[in-house]
Amino acid sequence: MKCFLNAVIHLSLATLAFAAGPLFGQEHGPAKVKFSAIQVLMIQSDEIKLPPEFQVALYENLVRQLVKQRGFQHVYRDGDRNAKNAARLVVLHSTVRGFQAGSERARQVTTIAGATSITVHCQFTNPDGTSLLERDVNGKVRFFGGNLKATYDFAKKAARVTYENLASSDSK
Amino acid sequence: MTSTRKIVVVAVVSLLAGLLIPLGKTQQIPGPVKAVQLTGLPGVKDNAKGTLGVENGQLHFLHSNANSDVPAASIEDVATGADSERAVGKTIGTLSMAAPYGGGRFLSLFRKKIDTLTVQYRDPDGGLHGAIFTMPPGTAEVIKKELVAQGAHTSATTEPNAPAAPSTNSPNKEEKQ
Repeated sequence: MKCFLNAVIHLSLATLAFAAGPLFGQEHGPAKVKFSAIQVLMIQSDEIKLPPEFQVALYENLVRQLVKQRGFQHVYRDGDRNAKNAARLVVLHSTVRGFQAGSERARQVTTIAGATSITVHCQFTNPDGTSLLERDVNGKVRFFGGNLKATYDFAKKAARVTYENLASSDSK
Repeated sequence: MTSTRKIVVVAVVSLLAGLLIPLGKTQQIPGPVKAVQLTGLPGVKDNAKGTLGVENGQLHFLHSNANSDVPAASIEDVATGADSERAVGKTIGTLSMAAPYGGGRFLSLFRKKIDTLTVQYRDPDGGLHGAIFTMPPGTAEVIKKELVAQGAHTSATTEPNAPAAPSTNSPNKEEKQ
């Protein structure tokens, strides 16, 4: 009898845990506000000394991936005057937080050494500066490709985060 | 009489040469150089090969009989850098990885130096663009100087070959793409 009661209690607790899980998930998830336009600001790297080609490659790949995702009707570049009149606009600020320059030669010769990695803090805000979402996104190249491939990896991940959290489904 | 005439001719020729040589130096415009556009120019595929030059206040990239021009006055920043890339081509280089006894890895040791040229410019709407080029060593700085002379802005004042201050995040010296 005692064994049966224990089993019932455990089963009830397990059911409660499964049922409460999605509720807690909703509480901590990002606000699902959808936007139809995004403006990408130039990548900032004040704290980390980043080669100019990396900075430009990060920016260009990010713009390209956001356009490719087709989650927004408009993807505006830094300084684009047309963004001022855009409705439901979100602004993406990116700051480099970490950078490790690897070596393509080391990657090809050893296959385990020479990885290039870059970590970028992405902050999504309203045009008035109110923060909506903040994420750290990293880009890596471990085996094949040049060091700039890490910027492509970052851009794909950042575009996915943007699409999943902020893009409106009617933009496609 | 003949010797006097010869002296006069030589003097005139020397004078003209003296006047023309500095004139030639000031008008020296770097000819187009072979370059690879890694990314950034609208309407141009990544890794497109072509020739890069500065003509009439424009950064001029000619590739497969198509032109891409960027006005020098719209360039907000131009920077050069030194880099290297694999001496053995991409397809052959990748295929060589399957070679026995580490032959492909041995080929990876051979690299050639290249220059990089990075420009940031504004389109007519004010949107910021960036473009990256690679080219033979020693040519990027010439193009940068020419761009600056024709109205481009630059924030970097150091020469690419100048010894850089030690940094934990040193710029990579490997292939970019």
